[in-house]
Amino acid sequence: MSDDMGVIVRTMARATIPLIGIFGAYVVSHGHLTPGGGFQGGATIAGAGILFLLAFGLSEMKRRYDKHLYSALEGIGGLVFLGAAMLGIGTAFFYNTLWHDGPVFNGEPGTLLSAGYLPIMNLAVGLKVFTGLVSAMAAIALYRRWKS
Amino acid sequence: MNGEAILPYIIIIPLFGAFSMPIVSLAGRKAREAWAVLISALTLVVASALFYHVWDTKEIIVYTLGAKTPFGQGVDFPIRIVWEVDLLGAIMVLTVAFVSFMAILYSIGYMKHDTGLEKYYTLILILELGMLGIAITGDLFNFYVFLEIMSIASYALVAFRNDTWEGIEAGIKYMFVGSIASSFVLLGIALLYGQYGTLTMGYMAIKILENPTVTAKVALALFIAGLLFKSGASPVHMWLADAHPAAPSSISAMLSGLVIKIGGIYAMARILFSIYSPLANKILEAYNQPYINMGAIGWVIIIFACLTLIIGNAMAVIQTDMKRLLAYSSVGQIGYILLGLGIGLAAYGTQTGEVALAGAIYHTVNHALMKALLFLVAGAVIHEVGTRNLNELSGLAKTMPKTTFAFLIGAAAIVGTPPLNGFASKWLIYESSAVFNPVLGAIAIIGTAFCTAAYVRVLYTFFGRPSERIANAEDPETSMMLPMLLLVLAIVVMGLFPWQISDKVMIPAARMLEQFKFEYIQALISLAGGA
Repeated sequence: MSDDMGVIVRTMARATIPLIGIFGAYVVSHGHLTPGGGFQGGATIAGAGILFLLAFGLSEMKRRYDKHLYSALEGIGGLVFLGAAMLGIGTAFFYNTLWHDGPVFNGEPGTLLSAGYLPIMNLAVGLKVFTGLVSAMAAIALYRRWKS
Repeated sequence: MNGEAILPYIIIIPLFGAFSMPIVSLAGRKAREAWAVLISALTLVVASALFYHVWDTKEIIVYTLGAKTPFGQGVDFPIRIVWEVDLLGAIMVLTVAFVSFMAILYSIGYMKHDTGLEKYYTLILILELGMLGIAITGDLFNFYVFLEIMSIASYALVAFRNDTWEGIEAGIKYMFVGSIASSFVLLGIALLYGQYGTLTMGYMAIKILENPTVTAKVALALFIAGLLFKSGASPVHMWLADAHPAAPSSISAMLSGLVIKIGGIYAMARILFSIYSPLANKILEAYNQPYINMGAIGWVIIIFACLTLIIGNAMAVIQTDMKRLLAYSSVGQIGYILLGLGIGLAAYGTQTGEVALAGAIYHTVNHALMKALLFLVAGAVIHEVGTRNLNELSGLAKTMPKTTFAFLIGAAAIVGTPPLNGFASKWLIYESSAVFNPVLGAIAIIGTAFCTAAYVRVLYTFFGRPSERIANAEDPETSMMLPMLLLVLAIVVMGLFPWQISDKVMIPAARMLEQFKFEYIQALISLAGGA
């Protein structure tokens, strides 16, 4: 017996997973402009991953999910965040040198390419939260103690 | 050397190490272990430089995150996160970095047979990071964030060996108790923020002095309750006796040696002396203004301290589990530190209070070294013999002579035998408590009597007739032996210069903490000109 949730749920999931992913990516990339940000957007994208896990079942998830890749990506997310925080170390830790001195992300406030390191940090946090939450859900699904 | 330039690296280096650990560990276990040791060694170097700088200049370092000054444009109050390091903070940073380095070095040999080690080393670096952050922060919410980083890493590490139910049960218990304690602290911070509209500790102190409301008193009560939980004081020490023995021994060393002190004692001292300034409250009292009675707070802490040091040490005597004995002994020693802190507050402004406070700080450092050593020895015994039941460990001195020697030094130091480091700090606490109130001195001595009984019992077992169980045991490999010997060396060397260390480091640290000239507030406000 397969552990997916049937053809109706799978079809719906196929249709909605890309939309959820796009909406999450929008929340992440507009984190410095609109409500939400890296964490919220990352959690939304992770929602797509969890929907995949539920709709297609654990066996399909095992084939598509690579533990080492996800944990390396999570580390990269953290490192990018730390690197963005260290850009202005000459003045202070977390000094927003991109916003004050450029050369990128120093546009008009309210536009996409503004706010200095904030978009970079949002992307990094989004990556970290997405990979972390998907890994946590995969671990919980793997370690369940009951069998269907 | 510029202290402000090196301060952020105390956070950056362990954070970088922890984040890059999943990537580095793809290169294999050797790379992972080397990376963890390298990162913690670098942290120790930076911590030593920071300590030397603060000790040398006797000035409080104020570091602003994200800008040159903490003051916003056009406003005259600090709006940014600041890190503020005085001598007490620097001492704590050095202790944390040293003991963490020892624990990580020890883990190479001790955790050899475990799986999932990339998570272990990531978590241990994050635990170190959280403790370092608490020691350097000057912002209340930043303090809470680091407290949670530290706590969550330690919950996970207590339950790291999840093949037995003991670790999982202890981890869950620790998590529940720790979360309750954290929520007390968070509620206290929320009340203060709602009342005074700032989170910077130095500025909060000014605001509380201008208007010491009931809210501030309720928040203080919540802080003390939460932090007594975190430090494992009686009557809420029950989680400690489960969590510390269940963790892997290298983690037990960090939990007992560092976490309960940084997350409990240090945080309490910081809040009591830097936010609720006792000197200013005395001045307010003299002028018949509304004030907060810090002397009474000191007595509350003294009462808890007396309970803790009697119950902790007495419970240690009757344990048959070696690590549980050490955990209860930690509860007892926390009692001494709390006693010093309480007397420092109740006898504020007198010589006695200063000596008691210096003794508390001194004992915090000493106990971190001693208890780390003892837990590492317990770990070596478990590693070699496979049991921690004292009834089966008879005669260990024959087969594990070096380990037994390390235990002998640690036990003698914790009891307070003169040529070792525990003597000086305990003496300062006995002396000040006897001068302050003879009954407290008597209680402290009774606690030590119990403590001696507990450790003599273990030594008696170790030097007893060899049992069959230990016939094949031998001293552990170098990577486990080296941290133990380094800790023994630290204990002996610190024991050789007790009064020099006390006069040159601990008394100045106590004086800086008491802030007779409002140094902590001054250091912050002096930056206002540059806004």
